[in-house]
Amino acid sequence: MFKPLDPLLHSELRLAVMSLLIGVEEAEFPYIKEQTGATAGNLSVQLDKLATAGYITVEKTFKGKRPCTLCRITPVGLKAFEEYVETLSQYLNPGAPK
Amino acid sequence: MEEKTNMTAERSLEIIRESIERSQRTIAKNSGLPLMWWGACVMVFALLIEYLWKNHGGPAWHLLWFVMWVVGYIGNRVIDKKKEAVPTTFVGKTIGHVWGTFGIFCGGIGLILGLIGCGVIPVKCVVPDIYVNSLLFMNITSIISLCFGIASTIMGFVLQNRPIQVCGLIAGFGGFFAALHFPMQQMYVMAAVALIGLVIPGLIVHFQSKN
Repeated sequence: MFKPLDPLLHSELRLAVMSLLIGVEEAEFPYIKEQTGATAGNLSVQLDKLATAGYITVEKTFKGKRPCTLCRITPVGLKAFEEYVETLSQYLNPGAPK
Repeated sequence: MEEKTNMTAERSLEIIRESIERSQRTIAKNSGLPLMWWGACVMVFALLIEYLWKNHGGPAWHLLWFVMWVVGYIGNRVIDKKKEAVPTTFVGKTIGHVWGTFGIFCGGIGLILGLIGCGVIPVKCVVPDIYVNSLLFMNITSIISLCFGIASTIMGFVLQNRPIQVCGLIAGFGGFFAALHFPMQQMYVMAAVALIGLVIPGLIVHFQSKN
């Protein structure tokens, strides 16, 4: 019996955002937007969902006089991502030992 | 990218792989420029000091190294501002710290030996008789070459890049022994060390991130 995949991460855009954030300390909103190719509105909604679940933190700050939105992955988000990848590997290699 | 939730496991894995690879390429794209810039600075100033020392005076021209730090720092700030904004990564920060530490220690070594040379710090040098007629002379370029090699090799290990590791070893040990054997051509040795230890690794990072 397969473990169900985390529904919050099992979405193209949210998964792409989490994959970007695991490799960096923090990333600005425009960088994530450019890397994922998402629209600003859609990205904001998905970031909110991830932040509400405690997977990421979203900090509104300033870079000089320019407003800046910084996103960081949290330990909860990192654990959820690890579990998601582990479950994925079970789906892809059903015979492999857990 | 939209909010699709009916993905297969293969598609999920593909998204993870693509996102990580694309992000790493973007981050690496501009990280070779500061290495090339600092390497070029060291090369130009080493050759300039060599020329001025030979044709217009003595070793006092070595004070130009402190001008190089200022020029290098200003150029680095300009590069930082012009390159596209990319996130901070652990690897990028580690490389920055390695070269920052190298800069602090080389600046310190230069300052201390300079002050000793000017007599500001009194030091009694004792050379055992067996070394009086030696053909090898320990000098500051040898020590700095080793520091260069250490920093460059660590960078190669952090980036998991074999050619950069080899460049670091050649710059470090090659520069050390070359400066011992050719004490009158120290500045040429320093320029070669900067080329192998900084400029070439910078070019490797730059072109690998483009492919």
